[in-house]
Amino acid sequence: MNRPASRFRWPAALLALLLAAPAGRAFVDDALSFAYEAANPYAERGWIIREDAWGGDLGQGDKKAVTAQLFRGNSYMFFLATDIDGAALRVNIYDAEGNLAESKSWQRGRFAYAEIKPRSTGTYYAIVEIISSPEERTGWALVYGFQRK
Amino acid sequence: MILRLLFVLFLCLGTALGQKPDKTIDLGQFPAETVDNVVIPVPSEIFTVLDKLGNPNWRGELGPEENYPASPNRTQVALLLGTVIADGFVAVEAEDSERVKKIGRNVLTLAEAINVRKSVVARSNSIIEKADAREWNAVRREFDGALQDVNQAMLELNDAQLAQLVSLGGWLRGTEVLTSIVKDKYSRDRAELLYQPMLVDYFNRQLDQMSPRLRRQQLVGEIRKSLGRIGPLIKKSRPSEISEETVTEINALATQMVELIRAKAG
Repeated sequence: MNRPASRFRWPAALLALLLAAPAGRAFVDDALSFAYEAANPYAERGWIIREDAWGGDLGQGDKKAVTAQLFRGNSYMFFLATDIDGAALRVNIYDAEGNLAESKSWQRGRFAYAEIKPRSTGTYYAIVEIISSPEERTGWALVYGFQRK
Repeated sequence: MILRLLFVLFLCLGTALGQKPDKTIDLGQFPAETVDNVVIPVPSEIFTVLDKLGNPNWRGELGPEENYPASPNRTQVALLLGTVIADGFVAVEAEDSERVKKIGRNVLTLAEAINVRKSVVARSNSIIEKADAREWNAVRREFDGALQDVNQAMLELNDAQLAQLVSLGGWLRGTEVLTSIVKDKYSRDRAELLYQPMLVDYFNRQLDQMSPRLRRQQLVGEIRKSLGRIGPLIKKSRPSEISEETVTEINALATQMVELIRAKAG
């Protein structure tokens, strides 16, 4: 059964997990560490990285949608990561009609990235997918940032 | 620094290896997820766009200069806290350091009334310190952080509904200011910022799902009613076609709700 994706904050989420975490949440938190580590260089290049994040766990081939209100005039980046060695995942951004809307995206193993400069203000969907994984369930974490561009 | 750049380069090399995403998808595949997993924008996201749309009269948008007493009604305090944090952003835009500092102290008082003072003390001090130094971008980030800290602290206290009210209060005050600025100097580009149908639906859903005890409160009832009127106004237009008349109508509703929140809490 899919665990629902949850929104959590770093480092408050880490503290909570250290105190009394179900096993599933622990690897989600590890995934979060990887996601923030990957996003850090972007913060140094002027992106504002949100302090809260989204995460959960999925089986191979499963997808999850995270809904976002984005504003024309900003650029947005979504960084997805897992701590599972050998897993491959990706994130892509679609508009409210289901059309691919990102300006660029890439995926490499446990990291994936998508960037969008919205053509119009409105609702967008970050679709998170586990392409392959050696584990039955793969914890994932999504962090998101924006900048004026 | 070099290691980090190499890391980014390493990640980018993966682009060519990745599978191509589908050009279109059926969003109907994700009915539950699209309802449950919602990214609420932080106020900075809207203010960064507004920065580019001319030079609004931010001083004219500052709310009343009040010290809010700690009311025993946690519902009202949560809504008010959201509006006060949104006021902080307006004061930052107006570059009014004294007002920012006062708002920082109000945040602390209101946070205390709903048992989350500890989570915002550091933010509040930082807001005051950075306002003194007129580091406006840093102050913005602290207000964003304060909103997130308060929400997180409430979730940890199993008070998710109050956390939602803080977000709602902030959104209502933000909408009041945004509509006021847009109608002051209307353009379609400015009005497009109001196209937030998902957020209106989200807040409506949150209010509908609140406990009967909260829903019975007059203030919550009034807000539900007004929010129910804002939704169709936003959705009747395409993003780039929100009319001046619609902006004025939304502004009247948002102003009415914010005044109600302030009156009940004051």
